[in-house]
Amino acid sequence: MKSLIASLLLSAAAPLALAAAVVGQPAPAFTATDVNGKTVSLADFKGKHVVLEWVNPGCPYVQKHYGAANMQGTQKAAVDQGVVWLSINTVAREHVDYKAPADLAAWMKGQKAAASATLMDSEGTIGRAYGARTTPHMYLINPAGTLVYVGAIDSKPTANPADIATATNHVKAALAESLAGKPVSVSSTRPYGCSVKYPSGA
Amino acid sequence: MFRRALPSLAFVLGLAAATLPLPGRAAASVTTPQVRAELLAHAPEGVGVGKPLWLGLLIEHQPHWHTYWKNPGDSGLPTTLQWTLPPGLQAGDIQWPTPRKLPIGPLMNYGYEGRLLLPVPVQVSALPAGATLPVKLKAEWLVCKEVCIPESGEFDLELPTQAAIAGQAAHFDAARAALPQAAAGAQGRARVEGDELVVDISGLPAAWQGRKLALLPETPGVINNAAQPRDAWTAERWTARIALDPQRSDSPSAMPAVLVSDDGQGQVAGLQVQVAVTTPWPAPGAASAAAATPVPQTLPALAAPAPTASLGSLPLALLFALAGGVLLNLMPCVFPVLSLKVFGFAQQAHDRRRLLAGGLAYTAGVVLSFLALAALLLALRAGGEQLGWGFQLQSPLFVAALAALFTLIGLNLAGLFEFGSVLPAAWSAARSRHPMIDAALSGVLAVAVASPCTAPFMGASLGLALTLPAAQALAVFGALGLGMALPYLLASAWPALARALPRPGPWMATFRGLMAFPMFATVVWLVWVLGQQTGIDGAAALLGALLALAFVAWALGSPALGGRARAALGTLSLLLLAVALAWALPALRTVEAATAATAATAASADKSAKADVWQPWSPEAVAQLQRDGKPVFVDFTAAWCVTCQYNKRTTLASAEVLDAFNARGVSLLRADWTRRDARITAELARLGRSGVPVYALYAPGAAAPRLLSELPTVAEVETALADLR
Repeated sequence: MKSLIASLLLSAAAPLALAAAVVGQPAPAFTATDVNGKTVSLADFKGKHVVLEWVNPGCPYVQKHYGAANMQGTQKAAVDQGVVWLSINTVAREHVDYKAPADLAAWMKGQKAAASATLMDSEGTIGRAYGARTTPHMYLINPAGTLVYVGAIDSKPTANPADIATATNHVKAALAESLAGKPVSVSSTRPYGCSVKYPSGA
Repeated sequence: MFRRALPSLAFVLGLAAATLPLPGRAAASVTTPQVRAELLAHAPEGVGVGKPLWLGLLIEHQPHWHTYWKNPGDSGLPTTLQWTLPPGLQAGDIQWPTPRKLPIGPLMNYGYEGRLLLPVPVQVSALPAGATLPVKLKAEWLVCKEVCIPESGEFDLELPTQAAIAGQAAHFDAARAALPQAAAGAQGRARVEGDELVVDISGLPAAWQGRKLALLPETPGVINNAAQPRDAWTAERWTARIALDPQRSDSPSAMPAVLVSDDGQGQVAGLQVQVAVTTPWPAPGAASAAAATPVPQTLPALAAPAPTASLGSLPLALLFALAGGVLLNLMPCVFPVLSLKVFGFAQQAHDRRRLLAGGLAYTAGVVLSFLALAALLLALRAGGEQLGWGFQLQSPLFVAALAALFTLIGLNLAGLFEFGSVLPAAWSAARSRHPMIDAALSGVLAVAVASPCTAPFMGASLGLALTLPAAQALAVFGALGLGMALPYLLASAWPALARALPRPGPWMATFRGLMAFPMFATVVWLVWVLGQQTGIDGAAALLGALLALAFVAWALGSPALGGRARAALGTLSLLLLAVALAWALPALRTVEAATAATAATAASADKSAKADVWQPWSPEAVAQLQRDGKPVFVDFTAAWCVTCQYNKRTTLASAEVLDAFNARGVSLLRADWTRRDARITAELARLGRSGVPVYALYAPGAAAPRLLSELPTVAEVETALADLR
C-alpha cells in the first residue's frame, strides 16, 4: 500500500518519467504507423524474434553504425534468420533532427537498411514504454514475447567507426543464443549514443 | 549536413594546432562552434622530481552546451584524455569536479556547462634533459545541447623546466575548489529493497546536515537517474530511497558516489562518499514482483546456509557471529587449545563453583581478546591502514612469537620442563592462587590461535562488521567471542556435562604427553607460514631460535638437573639464546624489503611446479580476461589460513574440478594474502569480505562475481560452473 502511494506520488511528480521495460518480463505491447503509412503492432509478430532499434539519422552515433554498414549488416543477418527488425524513430516534430516519414523512408533506403519496418514515434509513446534513452538503443524480444536483451549495439561506446571491428556486437550475440534456444548471457548493457529526442511537455 | 562536418572540422583544427610550428607559444587550443578547449599546465614550484605538477584541459562551453561527467547519466559519454609524456612523467586520472544534473525531457544526464577545467596530477619520477619537456594530449569529448557532437582535439605544450609555471594558477585553484570534498568519517551503505536502492550515509559534516542533496553514483547503469528519490535527514544521517534502473547493467558491491548540494543559484558543492552495497543484487527480471515468465534463478549452492549472502541486519549478524564462534572450536588451529581446556576440566571437576568461575573467566578472556583485536583493527583501519582479518599473521614477528609460544607449551606438555622450576616462585604461587586469571589468560591464548581460522559464517559477519559503526562492529566481534567460549561456559555451568568428563588419574600424564604433538604440529605449520613470508633463511632462523629456546627451557626448568648444573647450563643456554636471537631477528625483520623479491621467486617457483594452471591475481588481469570474454575464478588465499590450505589441497586440486574449469575455459587466478597487500585487501572489501578464504567466479560480462562458500565442495563448484552456461 505504502509503495503504491509512493509510486502514485512519484508518477504525479514526474509525468514524463520513462516506463520500465524489464529484461525477463513481457515486452510492452504497441501499435504504430510505419513510414509508408501501414499500421504495425508488436502482437503481429507473436512466435517470432523481434529486434527493436532506436534510430535518428541526425545522431553521429547512428551515423557511425550506418556509415560503416554495421547496423545494416546486423539487420540483414537477423532478417535472413526469420527475425523481425523494427527501426523506431522517436524524434519530436519540433526537433531539428525530425524527418517526415517520406524523408526517413528515403534515408533508410539510401542507407540500404534491411529493417522489416521503420516506425514513426514522434509522440515518444513507444520510447517511453521501453525506456529508450539513446540512439541507437537496442531491444530483443523472444518468440514468447519476453524481453531478453536491452542495451547497446556493441561493447565500444565511442563515435569512432574504426572501433566497430574490435567491439563485441551484443545484438548478434544475444540473437545467436536466443535462436539456439539458450538463455542470453549478456542481457543488459549500458546503451550509448545521443539522447532520444522526446517531445517536451507532452 | 552542417553538424556532420563539425567533427572533422574539430579534427582539422586540432591537427593544425598540433602540427604547426609555433615557436615561443606554450599553449595549444582548439576552438569549435560549441567549445574552446585549451591544454594548461601548473607547476608552482617548477617542474622537478617529487614536485607538484598538474596538467589540465580547459573547456569553455558556449551557452547551453555541455560535456559529461565520468558517469554521464542516461546518455552521453565522458571526456577522455590520452597523454603522450616524456619518460619519467606519469599522468594520473582526471580529478572530476562536482558535476550538475542536466535534465533533458524524461532523461537525466550528469555533466558541466560554462567553464570547466579537468585537472590531472602528473607524477615526476625522473626529469629528462632539456630546457623544455614536450607534452602531447589527444582529447575526445561529446558536446550536446539539443543535438550531440562528438569532437576531438590534439594539443601540445612545451613545459619549461627552469622556472615555475603558475600563470594558470587561478584556473587550477578554481578547479580544486570545484572538486568534491573528501568526507572523512562519512560511512555509506546501501541495500536493495524491491526495485529501490536504500542508501544510508552517516557521519556527514555538520555544515551539510539538513541540506537538500542528490546522490550521483560514479558507477553508471545502476540507478534510475531521472527518478526523484525520497530522502530524509535524521541528525547526521541522510537516507534516500532511489529507484533502480529497470534496465540495470551493473551490480557493484561498492558504489563510490558524489553527494551534490545545489543552492539553486548555480553554485554546486560536492562531497565524495563511499557506499557499500550490503545485500545481493536480484537477478535481471526478478526485480519486480509481477514476473509473468519464470526466470531461471541461480540455484542455491548446497543445502548449507550460504555464507556468501550478505547480512542485512545487526541481529542476524550477531546470530551468525555467535554460530561462527561455536564452529571455531572445531577448527584444526583451535584444537590444541581445546585439549588444554578439557585437561583443565578434568582437574577441576570436583569443585563446581571453581569450575563455573573458571568457565566465566575463560569466557571473559575470549570475549575481551576479540574486542581488543577488533578495536585494534578498527583503529588501524580508521587510520587508513589496509588491513583485514588475520592481519596479525601477516607479520613474521608475530608468527615467530606464536611459534615460540607453542614450542614452549609443547615442551611443557611433553615433560621436558615444568613451569614451576622456570618461573619465579612468586609468579607460580600467584598463578595457583589466582586460577581465575589463569583461566582468563587461556581464553586469550585461544583467541590468538583461532584468529586465522575464518570459519563459515565468519567471513560475512566480519565483512559486515567492518562496514558498521564502531559500536555495532564491536558487538559483532563480541558475539563471535561469546560463541567460541559458549561450549566451555555451558560445560562449566552444567554439572552433568562436567561430570561426564573423565575422572583425574594416571591417564592424565599420558594424555598430557599426547597433547604435546598437536602443539608441535602447529609449530611446523607456523614455520611453514614464516617460510612463505621470508623464505628459507627466515624459516631456518626461526628454527635456530626455537632450538635455543628449548635449550633454555630445559636448562632452567628440567626437574632432573641439580642446582649447580642448572646455574652453569642456564647461563650457557641464555647466552646461546641471545646469539640465536641476534642472528634470527634481522632475518625476520628484513622481510618487508625482501618481500617483493621473494614474492617474485615464489611465484615463478610455483609456476614451474604447477604447470601454469594458476596465474597470479591482479585487478588488471581480471579486467583483461573479462574483456576477452573469459570466465575467471579467483582464489583469495594465504599460507597462514588453514581453511584456505585445506581447500587448496582438496576441492581445488581435485581432478574433477580442474577438468571442469578446463572444459569451460575458466582462467584461474590466485590472490595470495600471506603478506600484506593493499590491493587484495581493497578487493576483499569490495566483495564485502575482510578475510580469506574467498572464492569468486566471474561470468563473462558480469561485473560482480558469484562468491562460493568458504568450504566449497566439488558439487558446489560444478553447479556454479554449470550456471556459467
